[in-house]
Amino acid sequence: MRWFAGISALIMIGVLAFASPALAYDEAGSGRTCIECHGLELGESAVPTPTVTRKGPHGGYSTGTQKCETCHTVHVAPLGSTMLLPAATIKDTCNSCHDGTGGQGVYGVLAARGLTPNSAHRIEATNIVPGGATDGSDTSRVFSAAGGLMTCSDCHSPHDGQTVDPFTGDRVRDASEAAQSEATTLTPATNRLLRQRPTGADSAVTVYGSSWCGGCHKGRLSGSAGVVNHPVETETAGFAYDNVPLVDGIDQITTSLGSLGGTNRGYTMPATRTVEQAGHKPICQQCHEDARSVGDVTQGTIDASEAFTVTTADGTTTTDNPRFQVFPHESVNDSFLIEENDDLCLNCHVPPGG
Amino acid sequence: MASTRRQLTPRQAFTLIAVVLAVALIALVLYLLFYMAPTGFTELVVDPGEGGLRPIMVISGPGTGENPSFSRPMGAAFGPDGRIYTVDTGNNRVCVFDDNGRFLFEFGGFGVAKPAPGAEASWEEGKLNSPLGIDIDDDGTVYVADFRNDSISVFDAEGAFLRRFPDPATRVGFGASGQDGTGIAVTDVAVRDGKVYATDTYQVVIFTTEGELLGQFGKPGLEEGDLDHPNGIDVDENGVIYVADSNHNRVTAFDPDGEVLWQVGERVTEMAREAEYTFGLPRDVALSEDETLLVVDAFEFDVAEIDETGIIARYGARGVEPGQFNFANSVDVRGSDVVIADKENDRVQVLELIR
Repeated sequence: MRWFAGISALIMIGVLAFASPALAYDEAGSGRTCIECHGLELGESAVPTPTVTRKGPHGGYSTGTQKCETCHTVHVAPLGSTMLLPAATIKDTCNSCHDGTGGQGVYGVLAARGLTPNSAHRIEATNIVPGGATDGSDTSRVFSAAGGLMTCSDCHSPHDGQTVDPFTGDRVRDASEAAQSEATTLTPATNRLLRQRPTGADSAVTVYGSSWCGGCHKGRLSGSAGVVNHPVETETAGFAYDNVPLVDGIDQITTSLGSLGGTNRGYTMPATRTVEQAGHKPICQQCHEDARSVGDVTQGTIDASEAFTVTTADGTTTTDNPRFQVFPHESVNDSFLIEENDDLCLNCHVPPGG
Repeated sequence: MASTRRQLTPRQAFTLIAVVLAVALIALVLYLLFYMAPTGFTELVVDPGEGGLRPIMVISGPGTGENPSFSRPMGAAFGPDGRIYTVDTGNNRVCVFDDNGRFLFEFGGFGVAKPAPGAEASWEEGKLNSPLGIDIDDDGTVYVADFRNDSISVFDAEGAFLRRFPDPATRVGFGASGQDGTGIAVTDVAVRDGKVYATDTYQVVIFTTEGELLGQFGKPGLEEGDLDHPNGIDVDENGVIYVADSNHNRVTAFDPDGEVLWQVGERVTEMAREAEYTFGLPRDVALSEDETLLVVDAFEFDVAEIDETGIIARYGARGVEPGQFNFANSVDVRGSDVVIADKENDRVQVLELIR
């Protein structure tokens, strides 16, 4: 029996020495084979959407691409990391690239300008959703970070799986590829990798606007039971980020429909309402966006001369340059309001005798 | 007269020798502890590796003070005496180590030079705000790319602040990418022969070491020589400027006038990252001692050695072991030694390039 045991041991060693393909997995070439095992995320497209620009390693996977290994590692993930990510948390993984050097800095950008954020989507710090219950009260939710805390991937799909339709960029920060390849506009289309259905949302929405925000902040939508909300327009009514009444110019109240991206004009609805505005409510982003001057509004006219009108790329025109835009991650104003106190209200509401 | 010399007994001789050896051993141990062994969070690497980049040491922080560990170091450079200057970006400081990895001192600290409306400036001489690249002049003068302060800060070899340029509140030449259109959004610097070369978001800006603007070139776009968020720069003795054009996935060599000499790498189309491409995300370049160019590729987790004909070799792999990288961000060369800012491993590595 001793000789039999010896031969068996040699055979076992031989088997281990020439291990199966799974055991001999070649991480260096992993990008070519990831989806052969893992497949695509639900709704993820292997075929690029040509109208969407600058996604880098996010989405567009096929057997010929090598994107997976940019964010995932098979054998050398840090202790305690999730989903074989290279950093300890999802937030840290995102920050590996989104560190500000590419113009895509998010958290911390305000502090770098000496500002103190007064509101934020506090990732990996909370699981409370203000107005998250249908009666308008706050609610808790189990999000994706450790401990059920909210993190980047609760709103963004790093795999571009089931994301919203592209909309005109809410920040003109980029003069390079998109701008050059789409010479007619400096506002490239993007979907910010926003999920159609953020964590906890009851249903999917395909267009970015109030309906998207309402996926989590359910109690903030018009018509929610038990609380009086400022009314907001919804996707159903045909209004979203890319389709709002924009004021045509300085000292004018004529409007036309267009995107909020690239201009502040039209963030407010000065009395008297224009044809496009009449009968409609604002969308969330008309009042909740980056803190910025939207100009003085008085009855019958709007002085937008003080407002930013973003027409060129980040950093190239002084008066056009709200470079630190980080909505909806951080804001110096409470509740991500574009203006605070009476300045905000007086944009739309004319006081008696005013 | 009879001799009074006393003879040691064998036992006494043995004891004496034992004491001498013990004292020598203690002295040796003390010597190793206090003079040879590195302080701080430095690890001397004994693994000889298998060629390519042989790990020599890993430095994870000063190992002392309020922040004993690095937080996302994004720049590193050798001083002329072999010192290692590390830009500890997350802690807004520069940490300096000797050539054995012993921590010497640090300088910097957080200061905002360009506050947004409603905020107050907190910048004082020597303060930094998200520093990125670094280079050291032959006389030891230190140049730091102070990214969010839109300027270059200059220090002497011991970390004393000397000056900064350009003025972050003044438009530079025909314009650059600093906040509000002033200053430069500087990501890396290279100093050579009295000139400082800096990468801005879409161009290269050249100053004298005193800060006088000498020229600028580059623009956004897709044509040859256009730039898109370059993050690394180096210059050779002939004034040829090498730029890691990160978001174009290529390295471009410019003559001193900004004309393209050659490019290696091709733009990786956003939506169809094909299997065959040269660079994933080149973040920095450094000339090796035999005139080849080392390129840190953050998305390939390695260091590529190139010349104008293309890739010569690639070294390193993804990981946390010595000689492996996790989104490495910068490279510098001194002789056959290479220092890498291994950003997401929160460390810098010194390695020997073996061919």
